[in-house]
Amino acid sequence: MLKRLMKSALAACVVLPTAAMATDLDSMTPEQLLPLAQKEGSVTVFSLSSRIAKVEKAFEAAYPGVDLIGLDMSSTKQIARLEAEQQAGVHAVDVLYIADTPVVFTKLLEAKRIVNYVPPRVAGQIDDRYKGPLLTQRLSTKVLMYNEKAYPGGSPVTNLWQLTQPEWQGKVLMVDPSQRGELLDLLTEIALHPDEMASAYKAQFGKDIVVDADLQGAGEQFIKDLFANDLILVPNSDVLNKSVGDAAAKNPPVGFGTYSDRRDNEKEGWALQIANDVEPANGILFPAVLTIADKAPNPAAARLLIDFMFGDDTPTGGAGFEPFNVPGDYATRTTIAHHPDSVKLDALKAWTIDPAKTAAARGRVSDLIITLQ
Amino acid sequence: MTFLSTFAPSGGRRLFRSGFIMPAVLIAIVAILVVAPLVRILLSTLTPEGIAAWQAVLASPLSFNLWWRPLFNTMILGFGVASGCLVIGGFLAWLVVLTDVPGRRLLGLMATLPYMIPSFAAALAWGTLFRNSRLGGSAGFFETNGLAIPDWLAWGLVPTAIVLIAHYYSLAYTIIAAALSSVGADLVEAGQMAGAKRPRIFFGIILPVVTPALIAAASLTFAGAVANFAAPALLGLPVRMQTLSTRLFGMIETGQNERGFVLALLLIAVSALFLWMSDRIVSGRKAFITVTGKGGRTKRFPLGAWRWPLFAIAVIIGLLTTVMPVLVLAASSLAPQSGALFSNWTLHFWIGEGGGEIAQGQAGIFRNPVLIDALWNTIRLGLVVALTTMLLGLALAYTIVQRRGSLLATILSQLAFVPLLVPSIAFAAAYIALFGAPIGPLPSLYGTFALLVIAASAHNLPFAVQSGRSVLGQISADIEESARLTGAGLIRRLFAIIFPLAIRGLFAGAILVFVKMVRDLSLVVLLFTATSPVLSMVAYRYAAEGFMQFANAITLVILVVCLAASLVAHGLQNRVQKWKET
Repeated sequence: MLKRLMKSALAACVVLPTAAMATDLDSMTPEQLLPLAQKEGSVTVFSLSSRIAKVEKAFEAAYPGVDLIGLDMSSTKQIARLEAEQQAGVHAVDVLYIADTPVVFTKLLEAKRIVNYVPPRVAGQIDDRYKGPLLTQRLSTKVLMYNEKAYPGGSPVTNLWQLTQPEWQGKVLMVDPSQRGELLDLLTEIALHPDEMASAYKAQFGKDIVVDADLQGAGEQFIKDLFANDLILVPNSDVLNKSVGDAAAKNPPVGFGTYSDRRDNEKEGWALQIANDVEPANGILFPAVLTIADKAPNPAAARLLIDFMFGDDTPTGGAGFEPFNVPGDYATRTTIAHHPDSVKLDALKAWTIDPAKTAAARGRVSDLIITLQ
Repeated sequence: MTFLSTFAPSGGRRLFRSGFIMPAVLIAIVAILVVAPLVRILLSTLTPEGIAAWQAVLASPLSFNLWWRPLFNTMILGFGVASGCLVIGGFLAWLVVLTDVPGRRLLGLMATLPYMIPSFAAALAWGTLFRNSRLGGSAGFFETNGLAIPDWLAWGLVPTAIVLIAHYYSLAYTIIAAALSSVGADLVEAGQMAGAKRPRIFFGIILPVVTPALIAAASLTFAGAVANFAAPALLGLPVRMQTLSTRLFGMIETGQNERGFVLALLLIAVSALFLWMSDRIVSGRKAFITVTGKGGRTKRFPLGAWRWPLFAIAVIIGLLTTVMPVLVLAASSLAPQSGALFSNWTLHFWIGEGGGEIAQGQAGIFRNPVLIDALWNTIRLGLVVALTTMLLGLALAYTIVQRRGSLLATILSQLAFVPLLVPSIAFAAAYIALFGAPIGPLPSLYGTFALLVIAASAHNLPFAVQSGRSVLGQISADIEESARLTGAGLIRRLFAIIFPLAIRGLFAGAILVFVKMVRDLSLVVLLFTATSPVLSMVAYRYAAEGFMQFANAITLVILVVCLAASLVAHGLQNRVQKWKET
């Protein structure tokens, strides 16, 4: 331990004599970063996905002399651990691979516990909106899913408001949004689009929506009506997929789930399919970001790793990105081709969340759903 | 023994040595291990956000759904589960320890198993049988066979309580059995000689004697039920039943930590009140000394015609609560599809070579090079934590028992109970923040095995203290006093007298700690920095990638480890207490 501290102190002396050096690191190419990273010797990453183990192998093969230490942890635990460590003055982790961006935004970025870094090698191949305030590596989904065996003609739902009608009473499933951040983000996003929700209402029922006095906008009205229509809450996506997707089911429910879970259809005997043609949207795309911890002990290796995890120039992204290249998830780097079997990103009718806006509105929506239960 | 009598015979120097130093050291240890993290959590709820959280929880339109209703559900669960566990655990303990029921060893073994099986397995087993059409998907066994299951039996409070009783009764069994085994034959024979009938002996002698154990068992099962997350989440959420534990988890998971901490603190306060009342009951009555060093042999009641019927009942309880969940776990580690547990079984998830079509080419768990490492890490962690926790717990229980009724004892016993109710994630975060920085001359403990052991010992303290108390409370002061008169010091007395006499209770506590440590994930994942993981982390990895079969296979491995540990402990205690053999 002491040795490690000494080493990182030493590394800090070598690599970070002035603040100007840090900005220098930001503009370095991987080739320039490599010798510095090898001097640092290792890089520690908290990862939301255990697939970091595959990245470890590929990274260490590509950059011998830099040891990758990957610890997989849920986003919530990463946040708790980083906060506690930095309060104790411990700076042990370099890179965070993390979702739950609204919380990351308020608890880590605003508190200056992390810094944003965009690798210059790929900066030109990523949309500006994915480069700040935090660098997005890929997008995951929480969207409306249905059973394609039970509904061979396509999605039985074409407008979100249909879910508030008697025919879908007790037949809409969702992982409890007061237990899981992504689902809370989904409802928050709906609340943040009152105009679209209002015109979808008009399209469905042919009249203008009347919003309750204590609610703000058509989005919140939808949330209230959805809960009133016996929305069924489940503890995790496993339960949800089994219930919605079961290929043998006669009259299965629909649910808000993860598009990429469709890849398990064959293995699990599911018939999950995305309901894409839904007014005004079928759900959300939310980012998984790569970011550097404040005062990271191995700043060059950290940057080298983030650069590596954006993949090479091939359509699959090569060894650095491939572990995360699954149908239903979307790379932000434009050179990486999306999976041929999945809906194209620009054809997907999902809203992309904005962590800052979601963070600001999330509390109110969370309070709303607590009163609705 | 009162506070004063410890002082009286020993004179000034002795008073200073054992009468003052030990409690002072203990108070310091408990202050550091338990009070400091708690204060830190409390302080974080006194910031402006924290004050707002107190208000939201207690005095806002949200309070009803955020605090009162979950509190109501939680208390019903807590009391329901505690009483259910006492009845079932007590019944089995009586049957195994004090009667001539056939197959006592088997029954005893079965009764200790459910606690080693994670509660989600019991909840899954319940779903396999009772799941109804509310969620869609494939129905449970009963509905498939034409028997409609109403919502109240498939979801909500009733099934949650039943599943939790099935999980926690073995905790009650372990503690009560340890206490019952110290009820000497002389006591019972004295009663028989005085002409007391069997019910009279049971209610007049045995029950009063094991009351401390009953209270300890009730407290632990109450706290376990109140803090359990898996069962109420799996069985309660579909009908929107929230308990304080699901609320608490949700608040922390959605980044509203202050609200989560407020809920945790309130839960601790409510439970402390309950514990304080039960403490009053114990200390308000006379303690019955049963371990006297004489005639430690156990007396068994003949059951007569009831031998086999009672045996049958015990076996059925064991089958339903042990075999069923294990069967579901085993089946789900063999079935390629989690929706069809009993078809197309394959051993691939255990020993498969990988590279094929199944499980995206992943090899079985016994071909995972990490597994052996993780197994070793897990056992090492479990053993070390069980040992440190028991040492600390024994010292605490000893002090609490010696000073029964004093303010010191009350405070210590309350504090020793608290860690069970503090959410692991908050506990671990507090430890990193407190001990991550160097304190004075002491180096930073961040990332060391020591920090993990310290935090885990504190977190598991309640098991050690409760089980230690229930046994120590029965040990006669005479023996110790005789030893003290011959000049034996505290350490000598502990090792020569207390340990051998209390060994059964101590091992019972150590096993509970070991099991909890081996299964616990949240604490470990926050404090562990090495890349070679423990078993629960390997299971989490598999589960996070959607490979429940591998995860369930690892859970079974964990079960085997726990079972082996408890068999070893059982063997050891029999060797130490040879006089028990009749």
